Amino acid sequence: MPPLLEIRGLSVRFDVEDADLHAVRSLSLDVAEGECVGVVGESGAGKSQTFLAALGLLAGNATADGSVRFQGREILNAPRRELDTLRGRRIAMVFQDPLSGLTPTLRIGRQLEESARRHLGMNARQAREEAVKMLETVRLPDPERCLGLYPFELSGGMRQRVMIALGMICRPDLLIADEPTTALDVTIQAQILGLLAELRRDANTSIVLITHDLAVAAGLCDRIMIMYNGRLVESGSTQEVFGAPKHPYTSGLLASLPSLATDPATDLPAIPGQPPDALATMRGCAFAERCRHVMDRCRSERPVLAAHEGRHTAACHLLSP
Amino acid sequence: MTAPLLSVESLCVDYEQRQAAVFGSRVKPLRAVNGISFELSEGETLGIAGETGCGKTSLGKAILQLVPPSAGRVLWRGADLARADAKTLTHLRSELQIVFQDPLSALNPRMPVGEIVAEPLRVHSPDMAAAEREAAVADMFERVGLRSEMARRYPNEFSSGQCQRISIARAMITGPKLLVCDEPVSALDVSIQAQICNLLRRLQRETGVAILFISHDLSVLRYMSHRVMVLYLGRLMEIAPRDELFENPRHPYSRALIEAIPEADPGRGPPDMAGALSGEIPSALDPPSGCVFRTRCPIATPECARTPPPGESVSASHRVDCHHWRETRSRPRHLRIR
Repeated sequence: MPPLLEIRGLSVRFDVEDADLHAVRSLSLDVAEGECVGVVGESGAGKSQTFLAALGLLAGNATADGSVRFQGREILNAPRRELDTLRGRRIAMVFQDPLSGLTPTLRIGRQLEESARRHLGMNARQAREEAVKMLETVRLPDPERCLGLYPFELSGGMRQRVMIALGMICRPDLLIADEPTTALDVTIQAQILGLLAELRRDANTSIVLITHDLAVAAGLCDRIMIMYNGRLVESGSTQEVFGAPKHPYTSGLLASLPSLATDPATDLPAIPGQPPDALATMRGCAFAERCRHVMDRCRSERPVLAAHEGRHTAACHLLSP
Repeated sequence: MTAPLLSVESLCVDYEQRQAAVFGSRVKPLRAVNGISFELSEGETLGIAGETGCGKTSLGKAILQLVPPSAGRVLWRGADLARADAKTLTHLRSELQIVFQDPLSALNPRMPVGEIVAEPLRVHSPDMAAAEREAAVADMFERVGLRSEMARRYPNEFSSGQCQRISIARAMITGPKLLVCDEPVSALDVSIQAQICNLLRRLQRETGVAILFISHDLSVLRYMSHRVMVLYLGRLMEIAPRDELFENPRHPYSRALIEAIPEADPGRGPPDMAGALSGEIPSALDPPSGCVFRTRCPIATPECARTPPPGESVSASHRVDCHHWRETRSRPRHLRIR
């Protein structure tokens, strides 16, 4: 059986002031049915652009090449009419900032019902019942009353619950959650993560969790993809990636993260330097300048991610001496 | 024992919130900080933890007199800062500095960064010779890990991590005794956060500066602080030495915050908040009666709605504001599993 989502050799370029900005560089990844995949990286790593490209939501000055197949069907650069049958219905996206993800001038109820009526062909009464049911599922207190409220009348945590309800109302096969808890307080973040885990268990929805927070990904995901400078640098099961990271960038990130077990008497083992510019094109490994294992070869020859077979792999010359 | 460097006594901060009414509007006071007291010694880092609207930023600003406190006192080496005249306060500002969350918006985009770092010296040491000032700036650049030839560039030429280093250089150049760090690493990438944490700790070792470290991230806070204070809706919930607070939190809110921390440990699943806390933070315009945390508290009783909890001492250095602190004995999740 083919994977639910199959991305092959995806590249996203932005045309900025007579230069090409490479946001995503020939990236390949799979998402299986019912699976939760964490896409982890720092700002500018290309994690959001990968999925915006897949859904045809890139900005006007961007071009995407490669292949994105959803349920076996090619959808990259597909015509809008075709995408409209998928977006919101089969694939839903939850954005980081729930205030800008909701229409400010429409009541919550109207926004939820619109989705149910359009995609599921429900009548007004059915759509309203469905909306109430969805708000109950995401545990919004007093759902009947909430339907009549505007987004600005809700707190950040409540708005994010509405966003998730909006994403889940058509029971999509794939939910793409882009930093869904980054704007939220820690206690609310924990509640929202619990909710995503529950939705996945109950509805068997596949989830792509885009996050910069390794700890958030560890709690929710089956597999982890680490991105750096537009490329996938490591991929494996959550246990493998966190238990025995193969790429020096991954192990560096994990080590530099203070946890409740960190000894406050010692310095944090920080990764030196900073992420490279997306405008730059490097011949070798993009992480070479910051890597403590760097070899001559790393600067001249780019390491490739070993073939994609769901195994634990990393793009690093240390693994193929 | 000598007098503490900083001593805050029953500090309150009020903002006026204009609300629409039937005719025109009316002004409703919003109490952002409500009766906070603590002390800070030289070379010490006190972490301030809490969620949106808990008053952590207002508290930091009120201590520096950047917002006027409406009640209570801020004593700097025993002298009340609110009573200091403008000249004395300006002089004292060389000892009291702040680093903000968003490093790029904290720097003047039209000024070369060398000038930005030199500016406090122009104000506080006007008699300093230009050459001497330049040498001091170059030295400060090296100390925060920047090359001194970068001084001619403008803020937009730097990454956010480098901008935060410049902010820190500007704050440290006058040799302050207190540094208020308001979410200094929250806007930075994960790989840069550790660099800035290490830098702040090294500067503290070198200069003995006391730090008020404000953060919503408890893992970072634990790493940076000697003592930790937990705030909720403008009120102090608990204050204790770091290990005491993380291993033996007595306030249900401190426990909930600690249990909500996601850890990079697969197989544990997302933090389970059932039984730790429920619901959302109430509006600060209309805080709950009695204990402000009671609407989300798993162990609240009718007593909590009637009277605000008195501050009680668990030990000489551990204070908790909860009616039921004696009942919260089980250890936080991260300690139970390990």
